[in-house]
Amino acid sequence: MAKPKVKYCTTCGVHLAERGFVRFPCPSCSNELGRCINCRQQSNSYTCPSCGFEGP
Amino acid sequence: MEDQQDIEDNSEKNLETEETAPVSQSATPQPSKETTESEEESTSLIPIDEYLASGVHIGTQQKTKDMLNFIYRVRTDGLYVLDIQSTEERIKLAASFLSKYDPSTILVTSARQYGQHPATMFAKAIGAKSMVGRFIPGTLTNPQMEGFFEPGVTLVTDPTGDAQVIKESVNVGVPVVAFCDTNNQTSSVDLVIPTNNKGRKALSLVYWLLAKEVAKKMGISFNYEFSDFETEI
Repeated sequence: MAKPKVKYCTTCGVHLAERGFVRFPCPSCSNELGRCINCRQQSNSYTCPSCGFEGP
Repeated sequence: MEDQQDIEDNSEKNLETEETAPVSQSATPQPSKETTESEEESTSLIPIDEYLASGVHIGTQQKTKDMLNFIYRVRTDGLYVLDIQSTEERIKLAASFLSKYDPSTILVTSARQYGQHPATMFAKAIGAKSMVGRFIPGTLTNPQMEGFFEPGVTLVTDPTGDAQVIKESVNVGVPVVAFCDTNNQTSSVDLVIPTNNKGRKALSLVYWLLAKEVAKKMGISFNYEFSDFETEI
């Protein structure tokens, strides 16, 4: 069974619905992360909830 | 211009080695120093001297807030110097990130002249797609266009020069990995690799290292030397 996709932005918690969001595996631990368009454009940092990796 | 850069690189190399050598000798006793050196060699991709010789750590005279975490110090001439440890760490992370995607869906772009040959070689080495030179708008967003491509992940050489690729990657919801210098803004970039993205040798080295690591993680044979990635003057 496929893993459920991340529904919310990892940084701000907004629902990932607006065009321009992205889902990608954490570079460190492969846990799926989500970023909304605003956090991407403003370069807001994200932290992986499972391994603590800080990006971008 | 390039010669001047090389001279700067070499002077920086000498400066760095002169600065760091006495500190490590005085800080640690001889036996433990040997063990730490061997540990460092086993974990680092290449010796630190090779990074310094290629000028990977050389930044610009401008800095941005986005890149502040990756800046090591500022030289007396106002040049910001990048932290090589974080560069290496990010190359490893980017390699593990890119290896999670199908190589044929990785898009490598470079509008910058010195990045074009390394980007092409990178794509050739791992089986990715490269688009160098001018990026035709609509390549990622217009399905009716000739040469339309749907990438899984995008790797850009310079966020400023490759702004159109980043813009289109955001529109189609594709993660962006970028080589960023001290003067770059990391807007719409999902993974930053802090490095000198202007120097010929620096770009060749980081692309070669990244290709080597990605190939290692994907289990692809990698038979290229650093010289194969180096752009000829």
